[in-house]
Amino acid sequence: MTTVYSGRQVVVALHGEVDILTAPTFACVLDVLFDAGRRDVVVDLAELDFVDASGLGVLGPMSCRLADGGGILTIRSPSPMVRRILDIAGMGDLIERGRPDPNSATLGPEQHSGDDSKPVTGATKSTDGAVRLPAFPASNEVIDAALRLVTALARATIGGADGVSVSLSRHGQFITVAASDETIAQMDRDQYATGQGPCLSAAAEGHWFHVESLADESRWPQFVPRALEEGIASILSTPLIVSARPVGALNIYSNTDHAFGPLDQELAALFASQASSILAEARTDMTTDEVAQRLRQALTTRQVIANAQGVIMGQQGISADAAYANLRQSAKRTGMNVHEAAKAVLASAFHDDLIGQVRR
Amino acid sequence: MTEPRNTLERARVEVGLTHSELWFRYFELGGMSTALEVEAYLYDALAPTNHDRDLVATALNERFAELGGDHPVAYTDDVLDDTDR
Repeated sequence: MTTVYSGRQVVVALHGEVDILTAPTFACVLDVLFDAGRRDVVVDLAELDFVDASGLGVLGPMSCRLADGGGILTIRSPSPMVRRILDIAGMGDLIERGRPDPNSATLGPEQHSGDDSKPVTGATKSTDGAVRLPAFPASNEVIDAALRLVTALARATIGGADGVSVSLSRHGQFITVAASDETIAQMDRDQYATGQGPCLSAAAEGHWFHVESLADESRWPQFVPRALEEGIASILSTPLIVSARPVGALNIYSNTDHAFGPLDQELAALFASQASSILAEARTDMTTDEVAQRLRQALTTRQVIANAQGVIMGQQGISADAAYANLRQSAKRTGMNVHEAAKAVLASAFHDDLIGQVRR
Repeated sequence: MTEPRNTLERARVEVGLTHSELWFRYFELGGMSTALEVEAYLYDALAPTNHDRDLVATALNERFAELGGDHPVAYTDDVLDDTDR
């Protein structure tokens, strides 16, 4: 993420992806800018490959907040795919149609779309509080979206993980509802096709299966050679349990043998139980839409708090628990909740960085 | 119906959170226990770690604060941290 100031306008350029892991940082930067009185914010997406619901969850509310404060949020140069996502989300109006403010033309970064000269004002006109996240068409898709978030989080958190998938038994058939890439999805399909593998064993027997070194593995003789061919060297499959019944598995694949230690097994178990909880909650007192929505929000907040915890640990040289207690006490003292206190910590950590950029 | 003995469960009933909403809030604050485990803490069927107990207490207290109240549920480290009372 880079931030360039030009006159009254500030351009935040994003690179790579905005997903559940990067969205909180992006949100904090926008918050800091807003708090600093910036009301003309351009988010430049030219270098952005992908935006998921968590990214939209940042852009939507921020554009409303700016509009309420007499300001404007403009989205510049989205790729066709990102543009489509924005359109579906009802945020197409935020996309810049013409040149940015002429004041900024001299100092701004390279202008990506300069041939259309309609004025930029009005781009956020119809967004007065009406920006909504996309509605999902079917309930299974909502659960799957929530499970994909867990998959992404597991892959980012577990050290040796080169790929993560969640497979579920639906109507007596196994399907992969979330996979970090195509090779991993294929690994799952190979297990379904041969009727063998740690994923199926975990899902059938309800306890975890750990393949420390696939080259030395004698179980699942039909599946193992296929996995070796794809460069997989170790696998950890943890069952998903709903109402005391295994319904699928969380599978973690690595290209290195002996990649997973006791801590990774523990983390895998935690993510598997979160996935199980999603499935269990989905069947009880909330609609699946609500669960997915709530989970998305919860994961984002968690990340903000974890980031702030890390900042405090680094600044004060204290343990994770002490940093958390510190955060909770400062929240209580200032009448904020822990999430707000965490945002304040991140905002002040980013502040110096942003000030540095203003002066440059 | 008798009043629940567990402080956390009494507080949950008082602020009117469902078990699943309480779990979401606890999870949001960084908790790693499952929904079933959190429910078990409230029924004294499982003993939470101090950290987990404090996370549930925080979730409940934040709900009290939303309703205009104070932080009535004590934290395990309140004995050490009693400066603001």
